[in-house]
Amino acid sequence: MLLVPCPNCGPRNAADLHYVGETGARPDPGTATPEEWRHYLYLKGNRAGLLRETWYCRSGCRRYFVLERDTTTNQFADPPLPGPEIEGKT
Amino acid sequence: MRQRPTRYSAAGLIARGTRNKPWPRVWREAPLRSSYDVVVIGGGVHGLATAYYLATNHGITDVAVLDKAYLGSGGSGRNTAIVRSNYLTPEGVAFYDRSLQLYNTMATDLNINVMFSERGHLTLAHTDSALRTMHWRAEVNKLQNIDSSVIGPDEIKKLAPSLDTSDRPRYPILGALHHPPGGVIRHDAVVWGYARGADHRGVEMHQNTEVTDIEVEGGDDPDGKGSGGRVTGVRTNRGDISTPTVVNCTAGWATLIADMAGVKLPISTRPLQAAVTEPVKVFLPTVVVSGSLHVYVSQTDRGELVFGASVDPYNNYNISGSLEFTEELAGHVLELMPGISRMRLLRQWAGLCDMTPDYSPVMGFTGVEGFLCDVGWGTYGFKAGPVSGETMAEAIATGTTPEMIEPFALSRFETGSLVGEKGAAAVGH
Amino acid sequence: MSRLLYQPGEVIDRSRPVGLTWNSKAIRGFEGDTIASALTANGVRIVSRSMKYHRPRGYVTNDYWDPNGFVQVGDDPNVRSAHRLVEPGMIIDAQNVWPSLDHDLKAVNGLVSRFLTAGFYYKTFMRPRKLWPAYEKVLATFAPGGKVDLDSPHHYHDKRYTHPDVVVAGGGPAGMASAAAAAEAGARVLLVEHHHHLGGHLLWGSADDRALARHLAADVAAAGVEVLTDSTVTGRYDDNWTAIVQRNHPVAVERLVKARAKVMIVAPGLIERPYVFAGNDKPGVMMSGAVRRFVNMYAVRPGTTAVVFTANADGDAAAEDLDRVGVEVARVVDARQGENIVRAHGGARSISSVELADGVKVSCDLLVTATGWTAPTTLLNMAGDRPAYDESSARFFPSRPIGTVLATGGIAGDGSADQLVEHARATGRLAAARAGAAAQRLQAATPRAVAVDGPEPDGLADTRAPLPRHPHPGLFRSSTHGIVDFSEDVGSKDLVAAAQEGYDSVELLKRYTTVTMGPAQGKLETVNAVAVLAEARGETISEVGTTVWRPPYAPITLGALGGRVFEPVRVSSIQPWHEANGATGILAGQWIRPDHYGDPAAEVRNTRRNVGIIDVTPLGKLDLRGPDVAKLLNQLYVNKWSKLAVGSVRYGLMCAEDGVVLDDGVTGRLGDQHYLMTTTSSGAGSVWEWAENWLQTEHPNWQVHVTPVTTGFTSINVAGPKSRTLMTRLVDGIDLDPEAFAYMQVRTGTIADIGGCFMWRIGFTGELSFELHVPAGHGRHVWEALLAVGDDLGIKPFGLEAQRIMRLEKGHFIVGQDTDGLTKAPATGMGQLVKLDKDDFAGKPELAWALEDAGAPVIVAIQPSDPRIVPDEAAQIVREHTDEIIGRITSSRLSPTLNRSICLGQVLPEAAAPGSELTVVLVDGRRVTARVMQHHAHFDPDGERLRG
Repeated sequence: MLLVPCPNCGPRNAADLHYVGETGARPDPGTATPEEWRHYLYLKGNRAGLLRETWYCRSGCRRYFVLERDTTTNQFADPPLPGPEIEGKT
Repeated sequence: MRQRPTRYSAAGLIARGTRNKPWPRVWREAPLRSSYDVVVIGGGVHGLATAYYLATNHGITDVAVLDKAYLGSGGSGRNTAIVRSNYLTPEGVAFYDRSLQLYNTMATDLNINVMFSERGHLTLAHTDSALRTMHWRAEVNKLQNIDSSVIGPDEIKKLAPSLDTSDRPRYPILGALHHPPGGVIRHDAVVWGYARGADHRGVEMHQNTEVTDIEVEGGDDPDGKGSGGRVTGVRTNRGDISTPTVVNCTAGWATLIADMAGVKLPISTRPLQAAVTEPVKVFLPTVVVSGSLHVYVSQTDRGELVFGASVDPYNNYNISGSLEFTEELAGHVLELMPGISRMRLLRQWAGLCDMTPDYSPVMGFTGVEGFLCDVGWGTYGFKAGPVSGETMAEAIATGTTPEMIEPFALSRFETGSLVGEKGAAAVGH
Repeated sequence: MSRLLYQPGEVIDRSRPVGLTWNSKAIRGFEGDTIASALTANGVRIVSRSMKYHRPRGYVTNDYWDPNGFVQVGDDPNVRSAHRLVEPGMIIDAQNVWPSLDHDLKAVNGLVSRFLTAGFYYKTFMRPRKLWPAYEKVLATFAPGGKVDLDSPHHYHDKRYTHPDVVVAGGGPAGMASAAAAAEAGARVLLVEHHHHLGGHLLWGSADDRALARHLAADVAAAGVEVLTDSTVTGRYDDNWTAIVQRNHPVAVERLVKARAKVMIVAPGLIERPYVFAGNDKPGVMMSGAVRRFVNMYAVRPGTTAVVFTANADGDAAAEDLDRVGVEVARVVDARQGENIVRAHGGARSISSVELADGVKVSCDLLVTATGWTAPTTLLNMAGDRPAYDESSARFFPSRPIGTVLATGGIAGDGSADQLVEHARATGRLAAARAGAAAQRLQAATPRAVAVDGPEPDGLADTRAPLPRHPHPGLFRSSTHGIVDFSEDVGSKDLVAAAQEGYDSVELLKRYTTVTMGPAQGKLETVNAVAVLAEARGETISEVGTTVWRPPYAPITLGALGGRVFEPVRVSSIQPWHEANGATGILAGQWIRPDHYGDPAAEVRNTRRNVGIIDVTPLGKLDLRGPDVAKLLNQLYVNKWSKLAVGSVRYGLMCAEDGVVLDDGVTGRLGDQHYLMTTTSSGAGSVWEWAENWLQTEHPNWQVHVTPVTTGFTSINVAGPKSRTLMTRLVDGIDLDPEAFAYMQVRTGTIADIGGCFMWRIGFTGELSFELHVPAGHGRHVWEALLAVGDDLGIKPFGLEAQRIMRLEKGHFIVGQDTDGLTKAPATGMGQLVKLDKDDFAGKPELAWALEDAGAPVIVAIQPSDPRIVPDEAAQIVREHTDEIIGRITSSRLSPTLNRSICLGQVLPEAAAPGSELTVVLVDGRRVTARVMQHHAHFDPDGERLRG
């Protein structure tokens, strides 16, 4: 079970949170062309690597927040959790 | 010229067994050439079927199928091998029905026993609204001559005695959509059969060949890729290939491949997990699916129960799997079949699924000339493999989109005319 | 029962005999015996038949992984008999035999084995196609494994959660030493041992070995380590989320323990590898560990005359052990001297001789092999390691250092006992230090935790001296072919043939031949399979590579994984009354609620004639407060909210950003900055999160508090022409006069002496009605008060079914039933609600385009021409005389009020004009005609009753 570093509650089991999805900017609904709006609705970056994502701390503080996670390793960019990469000072 | 292909048969088994004579290679190994008429990226069921039908139906044989690992290493070898055609939308039903027909005759068409077990398929309804959706599917199916009907708990109990059809469970079984033509098939044999058939007709399969870039010129992007451009070749870890036609038949990596051509896809990649138990004597004669409980299960002829569930809750290219998947799965399976709590889970694994917003694929031409997609197959790609190959081959050979795949065009995400499979396919196995 | 004299390392209690039944025959063992040691002590040599050829099989590893030791114990299938301890009265039977273990008729398959090569079934049974189901049935009878008793109950057991600093997987010398050292350094340590006793291979070793085991176990106890025996770390998931199955729990069949370990130490030891040669699966061929466990731990003699084929010290020790207990060691064949064995001869019950490479045949009934080791790297694989093959030591080793997953013991290297213990202790200290650093990081990532001072602790660097790797001959296959996968009956010959056919990568080979797919999941088979493939390809083992080891490390019962289903059903505070008064319940989303109280049609008639009450507590309710509530409502709903007066309520339609209908409901303004919003029952949770999402991500400056109060109020709808009369008898402080309290208004006051109630004049039923929201604790009181004071008015409760009928009579659509995943607002007939002159609202651009789009199906009211025919919900609407679908019935009922069938449906615009005639296909295939109605409401389209 992935630990998700909620900026409010600290690291929590991913099951306590709800994954909202990739974070994207909402176009101005007054002026958006169909192409712009549907790009916002449907077209994702879906990167293999660091992805900006929105999470919702459903069973905790109920905050929405954005984190960067590497979708190939499941490591969050910040803050550093004690993942497999922890290597000591020499 | 190549030798006449060796046929598989009982007589052949006896003759070779007696004389201790080995069988020829199932597909040949050939050096990678610098040019092909068509390059198919992805050596799974979709890519191999596309190559096979290009050769058989259209005489296009100068084709290379590239896979970054071994043939069938992606979703084709990781799915739970369920096939069916009881979809919700008329376009979905027609499409999957053609696939089921091709699966039905595949053993003789490809001369390899793919072990299609037409054992029937039950989609359980635990709520009023689920039952209503089952009725909806049944009615659409019937109008298209698909054998599909809603049955009650008593009939369900006869088809699958291990199910708890009493009103005691948290999720009582109120009814089920019964689809007798559905079943399971040996997924790897389908891969090998298409590869062997394509090989017999001159197609080359290249394993451990990873595409690192796609060459496009004349496109709108600063690097010449993207809309308005045309494909000139691909680069791989084993050398460059020039080709006018590239088909993206990957799952899990579809967006990464499309990005190489400058084409944006409406895809989020999610792992789908599956698991298998130790074998026990066969007791479950049919495929059982529960949408509300996010589980599907069938028993192999070897006696193992094969389970699947819904996709993971967040995007991931990492398929290491999770414990919570097995916990939820077991909890829900025991809701359905409380008698199997002492069976043991033996192995879990995962594959990558490319999810689209409307639970329907992206097929056919794109804004880049010569770059075609057969992607976005979510959790239902395996069952569509044969018909996808057939229609993609037709698109490549004729240069026009076959009517059957028109609803699945990438352009629907620009016009907003999405396909309405969402209700039926959320856990649609 | 024949036992050796007392053995100093024995783990049986000879003072406690245990009676068992084996294949209906009574036998005896001792407490502490495994089933295998008891059977062997009773002279049993054949315990199972092989999967495909039904060849007789005896014990080969004599531990948990023994591929031949599966038995049925009562209703428990696939029990590992060399691991499971005996219990008094155990009923044990052989599995997968037909008709019996000693006379298995399927053994004739062995005669045609040359034709049944791996994957033979792919090449035959294709024609005639019709016969495949029959072939399939025959193949299925070869399914191995025991029998499931489908009537056995699911005894669920709660799971355990624990948060140790360090989990140690493996309780052999390395595991014990590292656990003790980590605990001495201050870490909280959980030590998990697969077998029944701590000690690992020391248990079946020499007197010195056993002394070391006792010493280390004392250290473990002194350091305060928690020990779980007969338990297995089955998986290491993200962030060291660790799964442990505990098999010896006093109550549970098995318990799942979930540990969030800061550091994991992987010390599973090594698994002895079988040797591939002709006859290697015959009864009497065993590995050195099997023999030594039988002799030293269970005082059981595994044979009378032995040949020992050895390449290492364990093989040598096995020969010594056998000699010591009086088994004649006819020959020691030393692989290190270039000696080899090529074939085991013999009959059904046991081998009779072994043929050596030089052609000499040595008579024996026991052949011991000691040809090397497999490193079980599952947990390291799961943490991202990919093991690398070391040719000189003839085994795989970890290749990547992983900060929070540390390997020690045999999996990491060789060495003297002292070296191994020192490496393990250093590993334990490193684990403790890194667990400290991990704790510090977790704390630092927790904003309101006590601030972390100073740098990370010292001692994080891996300064362990690497363990040496001892040379070992690379022994995999002799010059003959034998079995590689005992469980699957796959031989080296099969593998070579498959490789020649092109299945020549390890994954393809596995898939084609099923090698490594059995219960041991490759722990015994993988390296031999890779070696045979390498040989066939003329490559090295490194070049061929290995398969990925998948979890779980050891199988877990579904019961332990599943545990209890924590998905409670919600009920309103009135539910006990409903149950006591004959309600039939219906599961609606998370709720169970009354569907009816016997006769829903009568409930409809009574409500339309007199007055009825329905418990509508599941209705989602959100309390909204703050100066910017109207802005939020404008954002969420397609219609306008700025001018809603205090005391008024309004209907709202909510769409997603793609314009598809999400939810609907009414919202009332209770005060200047206080609103109560209602949602559909199923939307209660998601609408709340949707509102929070807008507030937090798009409009963080808006001041609104959203509080879900669904279960804070019990909600009752009072409907019918006499509802006002009824309410006047119970309400204080609210003027119920139609002028003072009009349709679509809300009031706050006291009902049946309960203060703080909200009451609004709306109704899904189309009758004059009052919806009451009562503090939940008083719900039943108010319900009973209504019934008591309304008796003379003819008050009766009504259920969900009556409400559904009445709402359909009124033509109200239900989100998710009459709408679907593509239905946008204009298609509901409420396009006029969409206010494009608002600056923004969810889905605005799509709705603007949808209002222009004339192609989408729309919701219409439909009446069949024959008023007695009620088409099923889901009946399709087709173009006349064709099968082309142009719509469907989404709701249908027989209206008790109109005494005819009524429907809502979706149809394409071309068929949606009032008066259009439709062809409806009934479920039985009949086609009937129906007509599109002028209004959605079949009854009282002008709403006169409602406003009364």
